[in-house]
Amino acid sequence: MLLAQELGCNTLLGMAIVVMGAYLGSQSTKGTCLSECYSSVMAQEIGPDPLPKGGRIASMAKRATILKVSGLRRAFGPNTIFEKFSLEVRTGEAIALTGRNGAGKSTLLRCLVGADRADDGSVEVCGNAMTETSPEIRRDVATVIDDLDFFPDLSVVEHLDLLARAHGIAEPDELVDEVLEEVQLVPQSGQLPGTLSSGQRRRLALATAFVRPRKLLILDEPEQRLDTEGVGWLAQRLKSERQKGLAIVFASHEPALVDTVATRIIQLGAARG
Amino acid sequence: MSSLEAGADDFAFEEAPEHKPLTPATPRELKRLIKYWRSGRATRNVLQAMGDAYVAVFGAAMIGAMVVNVILKAQRTIAQCNSATCLSARAILPWAAFAATVGVALAASRLFGPVLASAAEGFWLLDAPISRAKLLRSRLVGAVLAALLGGAVVGALISALTGSGLIEVLVWAGATGLSAAASVAFAAAQQGIERHRLTHLATYVFGLLALGALFSVVGVAAGWFSLGFLDNVGIELGLIMIAASLLVLVLSAVLAAIRLGQIRRTRLVGGGALVSGVSGAFFALDIGLARDIVVERRAMERGHVRPKRGKGVGLEALIWREWQRLWRFPQPVIVVAGTIVVPYAADALGMSTLTPILAALALFGAMIPLLGGLRVLTRTGGLARCLPFSLARLKLASIAVPGIVAAVWAVATTPAYLGFGDGAVQRPVPEASLMAVATAAAGLLAAVRWTQAKGVDFGAPMVASQAGAFPPGLVTNLFRGFDVCILTTAPMLLGFSPWWSLGIAAIAAAILLNSMDAETLRARQAEQQKQLAAQKKERADAAAATKQRKR
Repeated sequence: MLLAQELGCNTLLGMAIVVMGAYLGSQSTKGTCLSECYSSVMAQEIGPDPLPKGGRIASMAKRATILKVSGLRRAFGPNTIFEKFSLEVRTGEAIALTGRNGAGKSTLLRCLVGADRADDGSVEVCGNAMTETSPEIRRDVATVIDDLDFFPDLSVVEHLDLLARAHGIAEPDELVDEVLEEVQLVPQSGQLPGTLSSGQRRRLALATAFVRPRKLLILDEPEQRLDTEGVGWLAQRLKSERQKGLAIVFASHEPALVDTVATRIIQLGAARG
Repeated sequence: MSSLEAGADDFAFEEAPEHKPLTPATPRELKRLIKYWRSGRATRNVLQAMGDAYVAVFGAAMIGAMVVNVILKAQRTIAQCNSATCLSARAILPWAAFAATVGVALAASRLFGPVLASAAEGFWLLDAPISRAKLLRSRLVGAVLAALLGGAVVGALISALTGSGLIEVLVWAGATGLSAAASVAFAAAQQGIERHRLTHLATYVFGLLALGALFSVVGVAAGWFSLGFLDNVGIELGLIMIAASLLVLVLSAVLAAIRLGQIRRTRLVGGGALVSGVSGAFFALDIGLARDIVVERRAMERGHVRPKRGKGVGLEALIWREWQRLWRFPQPVIVVAGTIVVPYAADALGMSTLTPILAALALFGAMIPLLGGLRVLTRTGGLARCLPFSLARLKLASIAVPGIVAAVWAVATTPAYLGFGDGAVQRPVPEASLMAVATAAAGLLAAVRWTQAKGVDFGAPMVASQAGAFPPGLVTNLFRGFDVCILTTAPMLLGFSPWWSLGIAAIAAAILLNSMDAETLRARQAEQQKQLAAQKKERADAAAATKQRKR
């Protein structure tokens, strides 16, 4: 299963590789490496997507790799958060990172978006090496992690208008209105961000990701501070984004969100003893 | 008698004690209790703490003595000056200080309260069944006294530095101190009825008066008009101001004391939270963070704006938004316009040589509020990550509008460098223009450096000192911006061509705006080290493989 994950394959191909891997066992050099690679990572694949004509393997071959992570390592002093972590995410795939608090989900996501520097390994987005300051990366990757900041003197709707225009959308009014409606921030459209509640700020952060073009969406616990209705909306929205071909990587503690959105689940860290 | 009855007699119920209502503690008792707890947790007394930091205490004493000495010397020197410029400065500058102090006192009072309570007090004391007015009275008195003292120091200092005599210094100290105290009491009285419009209006009026007074100094020095009548009535006017301020102080203080009990907890605790946030930021010498907190608070007070449609796509959209934000909050431009007077005043007062540095420092302070966009884009990186541009281009777009403002400032200050006051250095137009541009560049770039400052990294190696270890960034953060001002204007101060200053400004701009900041350099260094380590490992592996093959 772990081998399947490293090679970025989905269910069918993954199963075949897992059977081979089990047969070869520890005698295989690659197998030994992988058992080390995932010392702290357990992966599990779930719910197959509806298969397009031609079968899963044929569709896999057509799907472009959006995110490729190889041998990522991050440690804080003697405490290794993850080591030799590898992952491949293709268009239309949604990877859910789960695990207890402190398992390294947010650290991993921060390394993926370039907000934190990994000690070793590489991250590529659409074939470009991940550099946080690269305009190509910023064009392709939409992120919602904890460090999102807002201009204190621009209103909610002006933030969304600015982001859409910055990404080249010349007439963003319709899109902005649609997203505002969806995140239920229409009444707050003229408010300055400092006056928003924590839940509304979260909705605004999510809206910033939906109002612009994107190929990869990276979200850190997007359900945080959302009410039940909000979590339901988010799950359907992310599912629809995935079905339209967006690649998604997200960390979550919300089983309903993970079940609805994820095509693969990666559990980080050992389970609580 | 049944056993039951006997039992009842034997064990007759004692009459329950009458329930007496508990007497609530007085605010004074509660404060004493809190003080007792706090002092009980202290591990060192004041003398021991001062003993630990004796170097700092001696340093402060020495610097204080030097400052007093400098002031006294300057006072003696300037007192001998009898030119029209000196006389006008002596007559008008105390007025400017007076108006500016009142303006600052009103603005600070409106921002912080002036009556405030900490979050802990809000939770534990303000809900207790005690008189809120009694609890807060000491806060009001403290704020008024602090304003009185601060105002008196400013009034005395400015009056002394313009060469006034002792009596004049005392009069201006009293007038400025009392007016500052009256402003705080007035703001407190307004706070009690939750009205701030008058305080707001008064802040602007006194701010404009201060600016007008500064322009008058320049006007008199340039010979545009004369204010000779002020020379003889300065003390009398000062005494009138003392009387008027005293009257306002007493009336406002009485009103404020009566209304103290009506101030809502949210308002009290809000001011306290702002103070604790700002003081925490100052404790870490992170002045940028302190400013962020104040800016956020002001935006929260405004709360709602009428949304405006953006324009253009790409970076143009960002520049257009900067322009709209400036229209929405134009106060910083007024402050920048106010600093235009600095090079003229410096020249008029015979300080031609120091004009570039004084003007650059003034512009540096005034430009910081204009760089709010740059601050947001660089402080966390979260918003910059959402925009499809390199950091260098984002920075350039963010300073486009402030750059235009600085260019206009340079044009407006060029005549000051041509030679303005009596005995000022006369320069040809090209040189004066270059000096104005270099000074504007120094002020703008200094503000850019200050705005981009990151918080102190407490994880970095520490420097040992008598007062304990501290990260080097703690000290260097204090000089951010000032260093660019000094470096850029140094050639002009030393009499070299302004081209040298422009060259230094260009280098500073390349470093500050081209993403070649310390953080990026560190990242590049780490990447290079990683590659070097990988190459070393490859070589070691290859050598080991060769060795094994040989065996």
